[in-house]
Amino acid sequence: MARRLSVVSVSLGSSRRDHRVEVEAGGCIFSLARVGTDGDLDRAEERIRALDGTVDAIGLGGIDIYLEAAGVRYEVRDGVRLRDSARTTPVVDGSGVKATLERQAVEELAAEGVVGRGTPVLLVSALDRFGMAEAFAAAGCALACGDLMFTAGIPYPIESLEELAELARKVLPQVSRLPFGMLYPTGEAQDRPPDARFADAYRRAEVIAGDFHFIRRHLPERMDGKTVVTNTTTAEDVADLARRGVRRLVTTTPDMGGRSFGTNVIEGMAVAYLGVRPEEIGPADMRRALSSLGVRPSSRLLEVNGA
Amino acid sequence: MNQDPGGLMAALEHFAARVNGDARLRKMIADWERTIALEGSDGAGGGLRVSGGRVEVVDLPAEPDIRLRAASDILEGMFRGELSPTEPYVDGSLQVQGSQEDVLRLDFLSLMIWGE
Repeated sequence: MARRLSVVSVSLGSSRRDHRVEVEAGGCIFSLARVGTDGDLDRAEERIRALDGTVDAIGLGGIDIYLEAAGVRYEVRDGVRLRDSARTTPVVDGSGVKATLERQAVEELAAEGVVGRGTPVLLVSALDRFGMAEAFAAAGCALACGDLMFTAGIPYPIESLEELAELARKVLPQVSRLPFGMLYPTGEAQDRPPDARFADAYRRAEVIAGDFHFIRRHLPERMDGKTVVTNTTTAEDVADLARRGVRRLVTTTPDMGGRSFGTNVIEGMAVAYLGVRPEEIGPADMRRALSSLGVRPSSRLLEVNGA
Repeated sequence: MNQDPGGLMAALEHFAARVNGDARLRKMIADWERTIALEGSDGAGGGLRVSGGRVEVVDLPAEPDIRLRAASDILEGMFRGELSPTEPYVDGSLQVQGSQEDVLRLDFLSLMIWGE
């Protein structure tokens, strides 16, 4: 009989995006659920305490435990607090999956010729996915990282990994101690209509990549012919991207029951499947686990004016 | 923390000179039009006007876009680069009124000057 494993993602995001699905993978049946807490950190902590010991893995959505750049890891105060509120069940933020699947997604785009030398890429935030930034840079893309733009409204794209690492060194030791809701749209902020403040940066790019809530935050009305590389998209999000003219949607996590879950859910699946603590899993183990589970990025062409 | 004999206004002049002397920082504030009031708990006060990609020290503005209130040595420390705004903000010894994004931008700017 197939092993049954349960993964719950506790998210600081809007509860409007909650989702539950059962999937078969790697000879197991996974029950996957996403529970939004509308930006309420205390509620998220309570949910994690209640889930602790009752599920196989807990994912953290809408928040990171670590931010990383150029081999240096910075703990996010609120993320650590949530992780530490579970005593027995492993808690993961998806950073291990980001470092493997997102890199793989970009490498596949490069192999297909979708990106290459000089392709203008807007990576809305790179400090939560440095591996993706490295992969775009390795493919020769003209990278613009929007960390300052999308987090603090500063109209300054970061155009090299060296400058990104400098930013991380200067800013992250302090900024990672701020309430996470100041840095990232949580709760109802995720449901606000986009404002097209950085429309020029979107217009210049052929590929817009990174966290979907950041992408959506300043999404312009027209995105004709663009490629979007992201995850956590719902069917409604995909329809909206198609309506705006997005040509290709690459989700770094696979579609499950009509939406792509966050990397934290996929990492939860891997941890539950391997039955080990997250800190015991190296990149090679993660790659093997994801391969056994059949988890890989997916790419699809969208029909203009319809999903 | 070192107390500067010139007080808060000297610290603000120091901050303005650092921003105005750095092309990258000027680019980061190119679109920013704000007045910022700094109110020390001992009555010291001053202001900054950010406009046209430059920072200018002004007298305490009556109707600022951003208002920072704290002990004077905290405000001086912040604008002299001896103290990150994050720490007093998180522990409540720095009160901030203004949009969250403006506050973050100010925080990022000071960290870009003095972080590490």
